[in-house]
Amino acid sequence: MIGQWGLVLLAVLVLLLLSAIPLHIVHLAEIRPMFMLMAVYYWTMLRPTPVVGVFLLGLLLDNILDYPLGMNAFVLLLAQILTTHNRKFLLGQSFLVTWAGFAVVALGAGVLEWLLFSLFNFTVIAIKSMVLSVILSAVLFPVVVLPLAAVNRALLGRHHDAP
Amino acid sequence: MRATPIILVLLSLALMVLHKADTLPVERFRAAMMDAMSPVLTAVSAPVTAVVDNIGGMASSRDLKAENIRLEEENGRLQKWYEAALKLQAENQSFRELLNVKADPTITFVTARVISDAGGSFVKSVLLPVGARDRVQKGNAVMSGHGLVGRVMEVGQTSSRVLLVTDLNSHIPVILQNTRTKAILAGKNQDLMKLERLPPDSGMTVGTRVMTSGDGGQLPADLPVGTIVSVGADGVWVKPISDIDTLSYVQVINADIDQTLVNGDISPAAK
Repeated sequence: MIGQWGLVLLAVLVLLLLSAIPLHIVHLAEIRPMFMLMAVYYWTMLRPTPVVGVFLLGLLLDNILDYPLGMNAFVLLLAQILTTHNRKFLLGQSFLVTWAGFAVVALGAGVLEWLLFSLFNFTVIAIKSMVLSVILSAVLFPVVVLPLAAVNRALLGRHHDAP
Repeated sequence: MRATPIILVLLSLALMVLHKADTLPVERFRAAMMDAMSPVLTAVSAPVTAVVDNIGGMASSRDLKAENIRLEEENGRLQKWYEAALKLQAENQSFRELLNVKADPTITFVTARVISDAGGSFVKSVLLPVGARDRVQKGNAVMSGHGLVGRVMEVGQTSSRVLLVTDLNSHIPVILQNTRTKAILAGKNQDLMKLERLPPDSGMTVGTRVMTSGDGGQLPADLPVGTIVSVGADGVWVKPISDIDTLSYVQVINADIDQTLVNGDISPAAK
């Protein structure tokens, strides 16, 4: 049981770090992929994920990234609700459909964040970075899915071993 | 649909609004969170940054030779400037003594590596692994090797957050180098910053250096911030003197700042 949670926490920590550490690849600094969104989308698709967990994760992300408190929580929760609603459909499909589904979710999340930020600051923020970030996230999704799936398999494995 | 998700969504929305209204007493909590994450971020970001920098720095030997030659020439020029500076400093000192000028307080600073940088066009701030224990205060100027890059906006015990000059909320009182015109340099969450509150008919020219004016007693004066790159109908735009997106090591200038000015709270019992 502790092993399960430990594994999830470790995976989450890695994602958090990926979202926060400085990446000095010029021009890439502006368009960080949405790692946390990938995890929420993929894991929610595969298994029931605790909503409170995603909420708290969102708050933690807001705190570290200096976003308005609640923004990432809001976006991740909506993504989770949307994915949960379509779980039955998504589970039976090929990976390409899963991938396309993520692209849609990523676009929605990007647009939502952009809208909220523009609204909060009473100005229109440049949309280019958001678009590039969505594209990059969609492109990297299959790569990031591999470790995410591994974590999920490990969790399932432990589940079966338990008496 | 179950109620919990909806409640949490509304809660997040409420938090956002409250955050905007600035009514949440979250500063202590945020500071504690920063301090908690700081060691982890420091430990992880060091090797990653090292690897990335190495990949970026793999230049051909021809580039290295050319760079070497350029640096030697620059070194030669700088040596001459160094000697001139020493002479001027001595002269300055004797004038100050003659005039009985009150000495400026010595400026101390602490150097730190950026450990967290979300990037993106929404938030322009970075995290540093130095805090109140290193005499960092809210409002302190943060410099790169070339000039001002931001100001400290939150301080924990062992970490602090810096608002970069390109952020929407960043407004710096500045002065233009040659004309001595004063203005406010506002970040726009973009590569360039905009000069605002310009007096009418100020002759702006591309290439003018923009420095801090020290007005308001918040930031030290005469810190380079950027250069004007465009003057037109859409305003005067300034390019930061440092590459804001790839900050590595920065210096936080320790100067005692009047905290009532920083907090905007002028009631006598403030903090």
